[in-house]
Amino acid sequence: MKSRDTLGYSFSAIRLRKLRSGLTTLGIVIGIAAIVALLSFTQGFQVTMTTQFQEGFATDTLVVSAGGMFDRFSGEEPSDFALYVNDTAAVMEIDGVDLATPIISGMGSLDSEDSHLDLSVSGVNYTEYSTLYGTTFVAEQGEIPAVPANDSVVIGSSVYDPWGNGTIFADIGDELVLTITIRDNGATHENNITVTVVGILGEIGGTSFGGGPSDSGVYITLGTAVDLFESEEVSSVVVQLVSDDEATIDQVTLDIEALFDNEASVLSSTSVLEMMDTMLGTIELLLAGIAGISLLVAGIGIMNIMIVSLMERTREIGILKALGAKGRTVLGIFLSEALLIGLIGGVIGIVAGSLLANVFSGIFGGFAGGMGGVGAGAGSQLTSMFTTITPVLTPELMFWAIFYGVVVSVVFGLYPAYRASKLDPVDALRKE
Amino acid sequence: MNTDTILEVQDLKKTYQLGSVPVHALRGVTFQVNAGDFVSILGPSGSGKSTLLNMIGALDRPSEGDLSIRGTGISTLNDNELADLRQRVGFVFQFFNLISRLDAVGNVELPLTIAGVPSKERRARAEKMLGKVGLGDRMHHKPSQLSGGERQRVAVARALVTDPSFLLMDEPTGNLDSVTASEIMDLVDRVNQEFGMTIIVVTHDPAVSNRARRKIRLVDGHIESDEVNHN
Ligand SMILES: Nc1ncnc2c1ncn2[C@@H]1O[C@H](COP(=O)(O)OP(=O)(O)OP(=O)(O)O)[C@@H](O)[C@H]1O
Ligand SMILES: [Mg+2]
Repeated sequence: MKSRDTLGYSFSAIRLRKLRSGLTTLGIVIGIAAIVALLSFTQGFQVTMTTQFQEGFATDTLVVSAGGMFDRFSGEEPSDFALYVNDTAAVMEIDGVDLATPIISGMGSLDSEDSHLDLSVSGVNYTEYSTLYGTTFVAEQGEIPAVPANDSVVIGSSVYDPWGNGTIFADIGDELVLTITIRDNGATHENNITVTVVGILGEIGGTSFGGGPSDSGVYITLGTAVDLFESEEVSSVVVQLVSDDEATIDQVTLDIEALFDNEASVLSSTSVLEMMDTMLGTIELLLAGIAGISLLVAGIGIMNIMIVSLMERTREIGILKALGAKGRTVLGIFLSEALLIGLIGGVIGIVAGSLLANVFSGIFGGFAGGMGGVGAGAGSQLTSMFTTITPVLTPELMFWAIFYGVVVSVVFGLYPAYRASKLDPVDALRKE
Repeated sequence: MNTDTILEVQDLKKTYQLGSVPVHALRGVTFQVNAGDFVSILGPSGSGKSTLLNMIGALDRPSEGDLSIRGTGISTLNDNELADLRQRVGFVFQFFNLISRLDAVGNVELPLTIAGVPSKERRARAEKMLGKVGLGDRMHHKPSQLSGGERQRVAVARALVTDPSFLLMDEPTGNLDSVTASEIMDLVDRVNQEFGMTIIVVTHDPAVSNRARRKIRLVDGHIESDEVNHN
């Protein structure tokens, strides 16, 4: 029997039992859709993270901090090691370092005449900071003064327009009250200062990995920050390297680690990207595994249905054999039914999966958008991150999705098909 | 062996094992059939008629003895060779055994499809054969849309479309009323006389066996009589 005819014959059998074939196919559809949705979403997520991260963290910079941003998740005892403003000078001495600038940051609040925002406040050296972040730490209105007054403040675009509807929180020249709450052995007290808006950053988008500027940031001078926070402790030192080649990155990283007796964490954008890739890879594997289980269940469903159909169609198999069909012809007919179910399920699954992935990113975007209201610094970062996730459906992913759909259905169809092929024609024909 | 001998049955035995009890369906049957002959096989129920016909149709292997079709013995053939042999045998069953989802042409085409005949050729041959059995205007009816007699005609067309060595029929009229039965047998007569097709028919019905030129009577797995039909 020609393979085209085998497929045609199998297709007529599938069409005859529409409901049953549909339900069998549904199992494959769900499995493939889950795989496609989860993987295209995580891949889209990864692409978004990576590009946004690369925007905010140049490859020729390092970020030195007391505890790494990822160390927090490792569950190790926090040490009392800290970095201070004057540590920057020692870092500057290291070969390969072009510039090192400290950042002091903490939570604070800003009050205008009629509004209040809670946000993260950073103390930076305006000149050095804008050298390091030449594309993002740029004033769209006002300026970033080279010799700032102590009461200067530069605000991010979402502080300028927190509700995203043109209702402005503060404009150039406006005076705001900046309040920092200091916790000191259980007791708390507040430090206030009246600041004047001198610059408003253009919209940055993305996230501020590694100490880069963000839309929800508030930037005061280092000296003012030291006074307000009552400490010279810095959250990070951003280091500009003379070059972004790997040797320089590695050497400077080692030197800085040595300088602080291996207590400081030194991150480069490459190392963070690698870490992110590994993390996302693990997540992807986990999700694919879960989706794989649903495919397995679908496969068992196919096997079950095919065994039932084998019993119902015993007589038909007998007829085929009486008309000269060989065992392998019957095997081919049953396997191509499984193949068609896998193929159809795979194609529908890809379509359903990509729709689902788009729904995911819509829900995440909408959800984060809902959170990203007044003064929720983290929320507004999430908004900009998630709304820009476009699920990535690569041809490879489509190929593997269909491939797995077909493999699962054929593998589980193998046993029933084999049994069909081995039926004795006389016995099969005698079957009522 | 006579060159005209199309079928040679030599001391054929078939024993089924029912648990520990052997059931002797055929206990040693010997006869020959010549090309163009019209043979009927008669006998009481359980005498081994279907068992014999199944082996002539290469659907089953003998327990002992042999049976050769155009000189090919079947007892040594493997499953695939047996299947190939079946493509050159036309079989008509009591219960039609049509594939219900295929229309008349599709059913008649099926043995050619299985044999790998190109689709245009097999369609043409199937349509021609349906015309010959008088169903030229029922090509695209499904079995459920055909009468019993029409279904059996489709089955006859399907059996003949491969241009087989012989046409085997197991109670072909068992499910038909006497008028329809005689129409089918008229068709079988014509096939025998016009195409010279060799016919072996198993039947209980004297009206059917009386049309044959030779009657083989089986009783309890033996040939009780084998005689030329005089009438
Ligand atoms: N698969 C089997 N297993 C055991 N016994 C069988 C099997 N097939 C047939 N037999 C036995 O072999 C004997 C012959 O059966 P067969 O079907 O050839 O009879 P038959 O002459 O065609 O009868 P009928 O006229 O009723 O169709 C019967 O006794 C039957 O019970
Ligand atoms: Mg019988």
